[in-house]
Amino acid sequence: MQITKLPNGLVIASLENFSPTSRIGVFIKTGSRYETTSNLGITHLLRLASNLTTKGASSFRITRGIEAVGGSLSVHATREKMAYSVECLRDYVDTVMEYLLNVTTAPEFRPWEVADLQPQLKIDKTIALQNPQVGVLENLHAAAYKNALANPLYCPDYRVGKITSEQLHHFVENNFTSSRMALVGIGIKHSTLKQVAEQFLNIRSGSGAPGAKAVYRGGEIRKQTGDSLVHAAVVAEGAVVGSPEANAFSVLQYVLGAGPLVKRGSNVTSKLTQSVAKATSQPFDVSAFNVNYSDSGLFGIYTISQALNAGEVIKAALNQVKAVAQGGVTDADVTAAKNQLKGNYLMSVETSEGLLNEIGSESLVSGTHTSPSAAAQKIDSVATTDVVNAAKKFISGKKSMAATGDLGSTPFLDEL
Amino acid sequence: MLSVAARAGPLAPFVSAAAHAVPGPLRPLAPAVVHRDQKVPLDLKRPLLCRESLSGRAARGGLVASASLNAPASVRCVHNDVTVPDFSAYRRQDVQDANTSSQGSSDSRKGFSYLMTAATGVATAYVAKNVVTQFISSLSASADVLALSKIEIKLSDIPEGKNMAFKWRGKPLFVRHRTQAEISQEAQVDVSQLRDPQHDLDRVKKPEWVILVGVCTHLGCVPIANAGDFGGYYCPCHGSHYDASGRIRKGPAPLNLEVPAYQFVGDDTVVVG
Repeated sequence: MQITKLPNGLVIASLENFSPTSRIGVFIKTGSRYETTSNLGITHLLRLASNLTTKGASSFRITRGIEAVGGSLSVHATREKMAYSVECLRDYVDTVMEYLLNVTTAPEFRPWEVADLQPQLKIDKTIALQNPQVGVLENLHAAAYKNALANPLYCPDYRVGKITSEQLHHFVENNFTSSRMALVGIGIKHSTLKQVAEQFLNIRSGSGAPGAKAVYRGGEIRKQTGDSLVHAAVVAEGAVVGSPEANAFSVLQYVLGAGPLVKRGSNVTSKLTQSVAKATSQPFDVSAFNVNYSDSGLFGIYTISQALNAGEVIKAALNQVKAVAQGGVTDADVTAAKNQLKGNYLMSVETSEGLLNEIGSESLVSGTHTSPSAAAQKIDSVATTDVVNAAKKFISGKKSMAATGDLGSTPFLDEL
Repeated sequence: MLSVAARAGPLAPFVSAAAHAVPGPLRPLAPAVVHRDQKVPLDLKRPLLCRESLSGRAARGGLVASASLNAPASVRCVHNDVTVPDFSAYRRQDVQDANTSSQGSSDSRKGFSYLMTAATGVATAYVAKNVVTQFISSLSASADVLALSKIEIKLSDIPEGKNMAFKWRGKPLFVRHRTQAEISQEAQVDVSQLRDPQHDLDRVKKPEWVILVGVCTHLGCVPIANAGDFGGYYCPCHGSHYDASGRIRKGPAPLNLEVPAYQFVGDDTVVVG
């Protein structure tokens, strides 16, 4: 695993594992938080526009060229980070690398191609919103923050058809700069990546437009639909990426319960599940919710319940967190949670996709790489008191809430 | 340092949708055709009803949105947005009811179809035959040539004993009004002695009229009438003698003079050819 930081700020990381397939990603510190009200939804279109014509290759050529070698090109985006990744057999790395660089550094955004792509925004959003979880999380962020992180990942409906090619160019000019990018490769030599980066990824220097600092406000957004299942999330401000608090919140998440660990298991060991099961006999699901951004975070609970017992489920879950905040957690619980967290983390970096994601995210944030064992040690260093303090922070913090479904029996924030 | 994936815990599939510009072989695909006004076909196969099916559905971490791109050449595996047009205007009345079996009407439908096919086949064959014969018969002799091919001869203009020569089809035609003496003389000739044995009565329809093509069967000269040793014709070129019936008697010619096809029309007219 080698990592180099160029003078212009670009980070190059590679792991030569002699695997038959290579995976290369360009990670960029940009996302929906860097949008303003005049260009909302532009990152969504940017995600979809990764195969449009570039200066060195036409749309057809990119698609055909990558398909011909059996590769794939994808864009993964969160609110703060976009990752363009290609995956292919080792021998064809040069071909797909050329396309990847074209897409990230020299897109043309031809007006007619951009116009033809805009209806796809709607389709993409509809497919994503099939899952109520996506809608709830978007609303949660919109309720919790005033700006930046409140921007949705998916383009608002009124903006479909209004995003222009000039806006896209402007956004790319200001955000896809060398100091905010990281080039990561798995199954490729470091020297190759370095050469490519020095030659091609040097075009936009500087740090580009700075994003606004996210301001937490704590609100609630309720969306009444006819759905018989109520999805609700109640959160408070959490920890920032990389801080020791972040590890404490992660451990707290696993102490409370973060999803079934046994396939087709019923999650009985989760504290949240146990406490909610005492409150209702109807089907439900509950999990601790935790997300960390570069200047803020969210921690709380996410519940899915029948419309009639939504109130009981949410209150039971919150009471459980309160119990943990009052010290109702043993060292054994914390150790178990740490093991689960470690296991989860280590298993996620076993796949090349997860590993690429991990290396890329870390390179963007700090320009260094923490080995899995070091990360495991950091997790181990979290004490029970840290966990309790994290829970206290949640209980005392200003809450935000988002709920979807038939909300007749769902309590408001001030009723919780 | 933990990435989004690790901080979020095991990411359930619904909180990360994937955007693949060029989907590899194992990626889910989005519909390739963009319908601006129509509803998007959704995957509605997951009713969340029981405890087990809800397990793991609660979100644990932030969203990672990766939208499925429509690569221009992407393959569609689900064609659930293709609308089949309504063909009821073209269908038979008997089979439009979806709730009744179509077996009952199958005999009549088949019968009608076969009848129409057979009738059309017959009509087509008739027409085809006519068209073909018209085209091919246009290659045969035209009317003016055919008109020239027959000749009408008025028999009362030819006195007894006289041989009249006419031009017919480019060849001389001899019409001879024979006397009774000539007829009986020719009838008595021994047929077995002739080079080309033919009885006189076989060569004529009415014995008093003999109609011959006046071309010598040796090398094609025109014989002279009422000349030669046998009271018939004599070819001056090489000395072939023919009798009054046009049969070769002496000389180099191998065959008798040709008798053309002719018809007596009425008492007074003969049509040759």
